Amino acid sequence: MDFFSNIPTHMDYKGQGRSEKLSRMIITLFGVVGLVWGYYIQQFSATVYVLGAGFLLASILTIPPWPMYRRKPLNWQKPRPPPREDGADTQSPKSKKKK
Amino acid sequence: MHSVFGRGNAMAAYTLSVLAGLTFCCFLSTVFLDYRTPATINTRQVVVKSIPDYSASREKNDLGYQSVLLLFSLIFVAILNCCTHLTHLFNWNVKQLFLYVTAEYQTPSNEFNQVVLWDKIILRGENAVIDLKNIHAKYYFWDDGNGLKGHKNVTLTLSWNIIPNAGLLPNVGAIGSHSFSFPPEYTTSRV
Repeated sequence: MDFFSNIPTHMDYKGQGRSEKLSRMIITLFGVVGLVWGYYIQQFSATVYVLGAGFLLASILTIPPWPMYRRKPLNWQKPRPPPREDGADTQSPKSKKKK
Repeated sequence: MHSVFGRGNAMAAYTLSVLAGLTFCCFLSTVFLDYRTPATINTRQVVVKSIPDYSASREKNDLGYQSVLLLFSLIFVAILNCCTHLTHLFNWNVKQLFLYVTAEYQTPSNEFNQVVLWDKIILRGENAVIDLKNIHAKYYFWDDGNGLKGHKNVTLTLSWNIIPNAGLLPNVGAIGSHSFSFPPEYTTSRV
């Protein structure tokens, strides 16, 4: 089970942006090419099929969380050392206020 | 965009929007085309009969108008010659053509009469060269009275309705029509 739970399934923020941008570019490009091709052979169904091919390609490239969308992970701050006894007493009312 | 479903949903929505845009482009590319085309129509044999139209006068019968309508409804049989080339009308925004031949005439009781005599559906890819000789009218040419006997000016026109993938459903008239007159006497032969 450790093997499966260790498979990374996330994209980082930059990766999400890139995947969306890439999918829109692919679909738009296939749409434009399909329109020109369909007009050239005078068959609108060809346009729809080319757009469908673009959708499939974009699905394969941008829906699964490929490793290329995980190249810029966020640099989280280091976890702080656990607070001492005195500090815990002073901080506890603040956390209650937040709630 | 953080999950597979989110990305798939956004992509499907965007694809459908693009498809709508492409369909609109397809409509725009054909909306200004001129679909009129010449057609020649002729009539060869024109007769007029006087027979009761039971289908139309049942109701009138009940109302007591039967003497006029039962006895003097008119039927006509024309033999049409029709020739036109429609192949160039088909483009990527035309799925089928619905052709119909209309007779238009004026009678004392009605200023404007229109009767559809014949029609035909042509799908894209089928033979669109219409060259028909000696076909009979597909539908009865009833007048709701006795306005056809001896009528001097009945005009036949060919029109078509364009069924597109997207956009308007225009009715286009062919260039050219045919006018004929009915004989002044009823025929006695069976036609």
